[in-house]
Amino acid sequence: MNSPKKPILELNKVTMRFGGLVAVDNLSFTVHEKEIVGLIGPNGAGKTTVFNCATQFYDDYEGDIRFYTEAGDSVDLRSKKVTEIAPLGISRTFQNIELVQDLSILDNVLIGAHYKFETGVFRHIFKTKKARDEEQVWKARAEEILKFMNIAHLKHFYVAGQPYGILKKIEIARAMMMNPRLIILDEPAAGLTDYETDELEKLVYRIRDEYNISILLIEHDMGFVMNICDRVCAINFGKYIAMDTPKNIQEHPEVKEAYLGSEA
Amino acid sequence: MKKCMECMKTRWNRFVALLKRHPPLQYVIFGGMLAIMGLGPYFGIIPVSTAMFGALITVMIWTVAALGINLLLGYGGLISLATAGFMGVGALGVGIFMTEYGWPFELAALMTLLISGALGLLIGIFSLKVSGIYLAIGTLFVGEILRRIFTNVPIFGGERINIGEITFLGRFTIDRNLPFQDFATGASQYERYWLYLILTVLMVLTMIVVHNIVKSSTGRAFMAMSRSENAAQSMGISIIKYRLIAFIVATMLATLGGIMYAIYFQNAPTEAWTLILSLMIIGAVVVGGLKSIFGTFLGAVIIHLVPNLYLRPLFGDVRSLFTGVLIIVVILFYPRGVVFVVTDLKKLWGKLKKRLQGRKETAHDEQS
Amino acid sequence: MSGALRSFDGVKRMNITNLLRVLFNSLNTGSVYALAALGIVLIFRTSRTTNFAQGSIGTLNAYVAGYLFMTFGWSIWVVALASMATAFVTGILIDVFVIRPAAKVNPISKQIITLGLIIVIVGAIPFIFGVDTYQLSRFFTTGAYTVAGATLRHNTIFVVLLSLFLMSAIFWFIQYTKWGLAIRVTASDETTSRLMGVPTKTVTMLSWATAAMLGTLAALIIAPQGSVNPNFMVDVQVNAFFAGVLGGFQTFYGAVIGAYIIAFARNFTNFYISDIWADVIVYSSILVFLYLKPFGLFGKKPIRKV
Repeated sequence: MNSPKKPILELNKVTMRFGGLVAVDNLSFTVHEKEIVGLIGPNGAGKTTVFNCATQFYDDYEGDIRFYTEAGDSVDLRSKKVTEIAPLGISRTFQNIELVQDLSILDNVLIGAHYKFETGVFRHIFKTKKARDEEQVWKARAEEILKFMNIAHLKHFYVAGQPYGILKKIEIARAMMMNPRLIILDEPAAGLTDYETDELEKLVYRIRDEYNISILLIEHDMGFVMNICDRVCAINFGKYIAMDTPKNIQEHPEVKEAYLGSEA
Repeated sequence: MKKCMECMKTRWNRFVALLKRHPPLQYVIFGGMLAIMGLGPYFGIIPVSTAMFGALITVMIWTVAALGINLLLGYGGLISLATAGFMGVGALGVGIFMTEYGWPFELAALMTLLISGALGLLIGIFSLKVSGIYLAIGTLFVGEILRRIFTNVPIFGGERINIGEITFLGRFTIDRNLPFQDFATGASQYERYWLYLILTVLMVLTMIVVHNIVKSSTGRAFMAMSRSENAAQSMGISIIKYRLIAFIVATMLATLGGIMYAIYFQNAPTEAWTLILSLMIIGAVVVGGLKSIFGTFLGAVIIHLVPNLYLRPLFGDVRSLFTGVLIIVVILFYPRGVVFVVTDLKKLWGKLKKRLQGRKETAHDEQS
Repeated sequence: MSGALRSFDGVKRMNITNLLRVLFNSLNTGSVYALAALGIVLIFRTSRTTNFAQGSIGTLNAYVAGYLFMTFGWSIWVVALASMATAFVTGILIDVFVIRPAAKVNPISKQIITLGLIIVIVGAIPFIFGVDTYQLSRFFTTGAYTVAGATLRHNTIFVVLLSLFLMSAIFWFIQYTKWGLAIRVTASDETTSRLMGVPTKTVTMLSWATAAMLGTLAALIIAPQGSVNPNFMVDVQVNAFFAGVLGGFQTFYGAVIGAYIIAFARNFTNFYISDIWADVIVYSSILVFLYLKPFGLFGKKPIRKV
């Protein structure tokens, strides 16, 4: 898995401050194409802040975050607005599930295709043929992805009242709807049962293999991270500690010290 | 006999399938029903008195304005307290363009809509920077500014602008002052009914437009935005764009409501566009059902027609009390709105049926 | 308000007499707005809702005062105290029966609940007090100083001093007492405070009671300028809100300062520029200001979190 690959996301000396607090401190790491990378660290280590910088929720970070397009061109993400990240090929899920409760699962997934719609509000008001056709095209695509996720049978149900495992899947389906080359997963296994975690593991592999998507994830479930990731990056107080294969990371003394505390 | 029931059932199913394929049809049928009801005062159809006729007029005006608020509040999660102000813009705008400038009705209405659209754009731009309660109070500012312009500035003629008879499409002149029946001859005069029909058509068109918006990717973007702006942005949804659209559509629909007022009453008062009216319209949306188009109409019926027609004769002027209590009770106990009572009852009936069947089956099992 | 003032003089010269007139008038109305606004901020901080019914609660209790004043001929001081007592009860009742059950309702619906309260109160008044309006007298009906040609009523001095005293007392209470601390921590994070043993329910209830009393006092001060009718507080309500956004809802003093600014700006433009366009000019300027500083004079932008 460690053969030299093209990079897809590159953080270079990224620092993010909130007032006096340094949430991310001079952090650098790279995610390669078709790679599953885990970002670990104790609570408050600045993991989600890293995600928020990469997706331009925060644009006042120092340093450099680059994304590489399919053609191999490097894009400085800072030059992009937060809404331009998805069309570029990066999609993400959220720690607190951000789905529209009183909309069907299919419609929620369709929200992911939003930026692909070429018809504007005027065509929607008059429901022109083009608008109708476009709706059909993306609906078909959404159903395909739901089938891939094994939840196609639920597509007409409301999101409200669905079990946690399903909600997580809908979020991932919505992220895939954006046709990304990199998916950023914020604690995908949190709150899942063991069975659901196993299922998620297989799903993540399939997303990478069948759709050629790279994955960057934050997770506290160490078993899950160590199983699934090609490489793991450990940080503490926003600072880089080490980045290596799961096996080496587990044995890394500083990681043990920082992450597992003195008892390890 | 049974065979006939069967064929009725298949016909009904076919009809439901047709509605599902062409959802706007349901609004057209609804409009048709309203059009028939409007004939009440002419043929003495019992439930539709002249009072009911008048109440339905107001209900339709409110529904159009409230649909804009529903789009804004129900789908977009934004609030505006300037609804009444923009209704005033509609009625008074048409009035000024027609009486001061002598424009034909259609041009006056179009111009008024464009102006209110521009004002909506301004509020939208304002909302990009200002959010939450600051935004709500910001729209209250707009409503107050408009109200003070209406009442203070001399061009609005003090109390009201009298428009008088309106000529539609340059050919059809309708004077609403003619009563339903000619006093001398007793012959029916259909002037008011034609105006009623125009209002019905405008309301049905508004319903279809709002339906099309909310069932499109624009509508989904509104809902994503109201759930979480940050998440919506990460999906490439531009908050700027959709806030602007929401405010522009809402103000234009409020204005259309005002124009409908001018069409039917053929005058435009200056003092009617108060905060209380805005609140009543928000009340109609909340009570009837957020995110429901028929619910909005139902809300207008509950908040305007029911207290005016049925409660006032019995208990005196309880309109405000009734509306206020209803708003609070509905939010506390039925936050989705009264229109969802039907869906919930259906669900409950399904559950009951299942439970009854289950009981039967277990009883059956025990027996065997 | 100052329309009468202008006709009295007729000349809009920028001399000291006119300026003082505007100022005295503004101090009076400013105090009214400030009292109402402080109540709104207090409720916003403890209940996370904007109380649109602040003015209406004041109206309701001003009716109590008006009723007692005109029916039994009691002294204005006694009816003021009586209406303060009913205000206290009104606040508690509203909290217990409307606000507390709505704890889990989303913020916009909560706002709409208080909008519903306005409609309830406006609708209930004719049933309780009839359709007649009531009159209330000033606290001091006679007595005035003349400062550089401008009249300064004893009543105005009393009203301004009373308001300033009450507001200072509330600030002191919030800043330096144990209960004040409870209010502040409830304001910053209700759930955590409750878990830490702060009686947040009592805090919220007392905030509503205090806010109701502040609103009622505002109503009693403004009532003598017109009559007590169902809508006589709408102007105060609206301007108190505007004061809140101008000063920012994050501090307790911001709204008070905002209230005096708005009162002065309205009177000043009304007197010197145009009585037709005064409110339009002032309100539009505040809107522009708000666009530039979206969290008011003293507010800060919160950090975004995902």
